[in-house]
Amino acid sequence: MGFFGDIWPLAVIGLFNGAIYGLAAMGVVLTYKTSGIFNFAYGAVAMFCAFTFWQLRDGWGLNQWVALPILVLVVAPLIGLILERLFRPVAALSAEIQIVISLGVLAFLQALALLIWGGSPRVLTSIFSTTAFDFTSKLRLSYTQVFTLFVAAALGAGLWALLRHTRLGVATQAVVDNRDLAELNGISSDTVSRTAWVISTMFAAVVGVLLSGQSRLDVYSLVLVVIFAFAPAVVGRLISLPLAFAGALALGVGQSIVTHWGSSGTLANLYASVPYLALFALLLLYGNRLKELRAAFQPVTSAPAAQPASRRKLLTMGTAGLGLAVVLPALVNEARLGNVTSGVVFASIALTLVVLTGWTGQISLAQFTFVGVGAFTVGHLAATDGSGFFWAAAVGALIAIPIGLLVGLPSLRLSGLYLALATMAFALTVDTMVFSQRRISGGTTGMSIPKPRIFGFSFASTTRFYYLAVAVLAVFAVGALVFQRGPIGRRLQMIRDAPLAASTFGVNLTLTKLAVFALSGAGAAFAGAMFGALRGSVSPGDFGFGASLGLLLLVVLGGRALVGGALIAGFVYMLQILPGLAPYLRYIQLGIAVGVVYVAQYPDGPLTVAADQSRRYADLLRSFRQLVSRPVESKVPEATSG
Amino acid sequence: MADSSAAPRLRAHGVSVHFGGLRALDDVGLEVGGDDIAGLIGPNGAGKTTLFNVITGVQDPDDGAVELDGVDISRWSPHRRGRAGIARTFQRLALFTGLTVYDNLLGTWEAATPGAVLGRQRQRGRERVEHVLEQLDLTTIAGRLAGQLSTGLGRMVELGRALCANPRLLLLDEPSAGLDPDETARFSAILRGVAGTANDGPAVLLVEHDVALVMDVCDHITVLDFGQRIAQGSPSEIRSHPAVVAAYLGQPT
Ligand SMILES: Nc1ncnc2c1ncn2[C@@H]1O[C@H](COP(=O)(O)OP(=O)(O)OP(=O)(O)O)[C@@H](O)[C@H]1O
Ligand SMILES: [Mg+2]
Repeated sequence: MGFFGDIWPLAVIGLFNGAIYGLAAMGVVLTYKTSGIFNFAYGAVAMFCAFTFWQLRDGWGLNQWVALPILVLVVAPLIGLILERLFRPVAALSAEIQIVISLGVLAFLQALALLIWGGSPRVLTSIFSTTAFDFTSKLRLSYTQVFTLFVAAALGAGLWALLRHTRLGVATQAVVDNRDLAELNGISSDTVSRTAWVISTMFAAVVGVLLSGQSRLDVYSLVLVVIFAFAPAVVGRLISLPLAFAGALALGVGQSIVTHWGSSGTLANLYASVPYLALFALLLLYGNRLKELRAAFQPVTSAPAAQPASRRKLLTMGTAGLGLAVVLPALVNEARLGNVTSGVVFASIALTLVVLTGWTGQISLAQFTFVGVGAFTVGHLAATDGSGFFWAAAVGALIAIPIGLLVGLPSLRLSGLYLALATMAFALTVDTMVFSQRRISGGTTGMSIPKPRIFGFSFASTTRFYYLAVAVLAVFAVGALVFQRGPIGRRLQMIRDAPLAASTFGVNLTLTKLAVFALSGAGAAFAGAMFGALRGSVSPGDFGFGASLGLLLLVVLGGRALVGGALIAGFVYMLQILPGLAPYLRYIQLGIAVGVVYVAQYPDGPLTVAADQSRRYADLLRSFRQLVSRPVESKVPEATSG
Repeated sequence: MADSSAAPRLRAHGVSVHFGGLRALDDVGLEVGGDDIAGLIGPNGAGKTTLFNVITGVQDPDDGAVELDGVDISRWSPHRRGRAGIARTFQRLALFTGLTVYDNLLGTWEAATPGAVLGRQRQRGRERVEHVLEQLDLTTIAGRLAGQLSTGLGRMVELGRALCANPRLLLLDEPSAGLDPDETARFSAILRGVAGTANDGPAVLLVEHDVALVMDVCDHITVLDFGQRIAQGSPSEIRSHPAVVAAYLGQPT
């Protein structure tokens, strides 16, 4: 017996989760290959469906065999159709925009679920009996596990058969191979992708119900669990359903086997980090074989860039902003000033993402990982009275450089979607494997961070720390502007607008991207030291994937290509922590999510949306006028317009 | 540096590229001398752009080699080739849309010039950019965003950008597509001014559907069809070449 005897029961148990991941992986692959959209919101859809199920069964007391068909056959398809409709117009746009929109949908569903069902977790009992029986002396199974495996396998096989042996399958394949040709042959690619979204969402509903039956149901967990399915989806190159399913089974088994060594102690979190680590490693090693569907046809942005602000205008706005910042402490009380300081610190973090995402076009879902690096470094190195704070912050920034290079590494071979996935996997890996270590972060209790002190001068008072934060933000902003308007900024814009052209003229894409990752990471770490000092004490939970996601969404909302966008991001962040607005917090979050989806196509933020809209109105108005005034138009064009 | 008196500016030989079952290029060879304005013509889908992609290094060929002044650059990265003096324009405009026209040119010059951002060099870059702007009559639109230009102006900016890349070899992919007759005439005048025989001007390889323009400016023409080279020679030879007439030019009327 020995080792193998201990392992195989774990392997069998792993199959159950693996099968559910398999459904999720297939759901993700299905919409990607038919519509080109990678649905980051898949976990959120599953979560929303699970809550809906809870509402139908536990909330309204329906029999679960009534509730389940309502969910899977009515609610889920409806959500699928809405999503398909939402994504159809952006299918031809850049991966960057699609990712941002699907992350916005994720946030929207979370906010909506919070609004409807509140923040307290629910217990969703399994739909099957949880009675357990001894399968062998080593292996005790429950009926719910067996049925879960059965249902998942049946659905997976059913989908496979459907695509294999029906007209729909043929049509799907035709659309995957060549959308335009399929259209010419009378196959409606819209119908195909609509069907795909419906099936995919039905799967999400099943995944949500099955997974929630095993643990508590809340707004966040499922989103993370469903990310487990992304690694197997990548194994199938986001194209192959059987490979995705097989990969998911392997992942479930591997993850389960790890618990043999790691059910306690330092490896306790290995279980959770296996899928993320697998995803990161897969993308890193296997990256050159991955191709984005139709990537060649995607323009980078859809909106025309705005004319950059003149130096004079910037100077005026900057002076006005600084003036306001200087007098602010006299205008608001100490508690509000603390809130403003949070916004200011957040804005400096946001700036580092503007450089990376807005100017270089690299979506990062790992920016708060660097913030954590800075905060924990200061926690370790600075004295408790705060002396040595700035040295420690500088060290944190230095440490962040190699980490930035590591995150940037996949960007050499990957772009768009795969890069976003890689940064996400990285953030989750560090979160579950590194930050969770007691020695690094102080574990769940966290670590206290002093307010800075330099040459005996302490920044401990609220007002002083506020001024320090403003100063750091000002330095960041001025630095960023100088950077943007100089040769480097020009080069970044070139890479973003036309990477291929830039490289043929001599831009080393690799080096440039890596440098930006490193620089942006270092900046975020320095800002992270400020973030830590602001909080007074930090724990790994502050720097998770959720924080990075929230940051990205706010930066997109503010305008990811603008320094001002970071300021807006900081402002909106502040709104979320103002106690006076607390009752409306969930509406604010909903509004942010909607705003993100709306602004996603406009790197220059809400103001260009407004400009674009008003231009459209102006165009409309002009053509209307021309229509009305056609007879005289050719003779006296000047006179009529004046 | 290799002995440039003996070797042609560009030599590509045995280049093959396939996409799935499609042979986009099949054992194609081509030479462009240092003073040449050479033409590359052929019907749609003949493989002209693909050959440009191979020369600039953005498309790995299945087979074949590319030499610049006698140096085999087949394994060089695109940016290294760019710095070595290969510059191109793109058939589907690939301007830096978020930058002004001026910055499109300046950024390109900086990318192509080692040590470009150092003090003394910067002045040289600005001079170069301003010179090219004047040459192409773009000075008035220097401050406009490249993304907001018409196709005609966009093509001019593409050309200006390539000229700012210190080119030794200029690859032009359908530069006159979308230009009106006036613009085309101006373009061919400009082309003669900057290229070939002019002092230190780059050699040019021109892909163009405007046959009159090609016959007019080119010293030497290569014809591709379905990925294969079907002819090469002087404009007059090409005009009467039976295979070319059949595949591309059609009967003169
Ligand atoms: N990345 C690619 N993947 C698949 N096929 C491609 C790719 N690039 C080009 N092709 C195909 O290779 C062939 C040659 O294309 P290429 O663009 O080189 O032709 P061309 O001579 O430039 O034509 P045109 O005059 O229309 O510009 C075409 O059939 C084209 O469809
Ligand atoms: Mg072409």
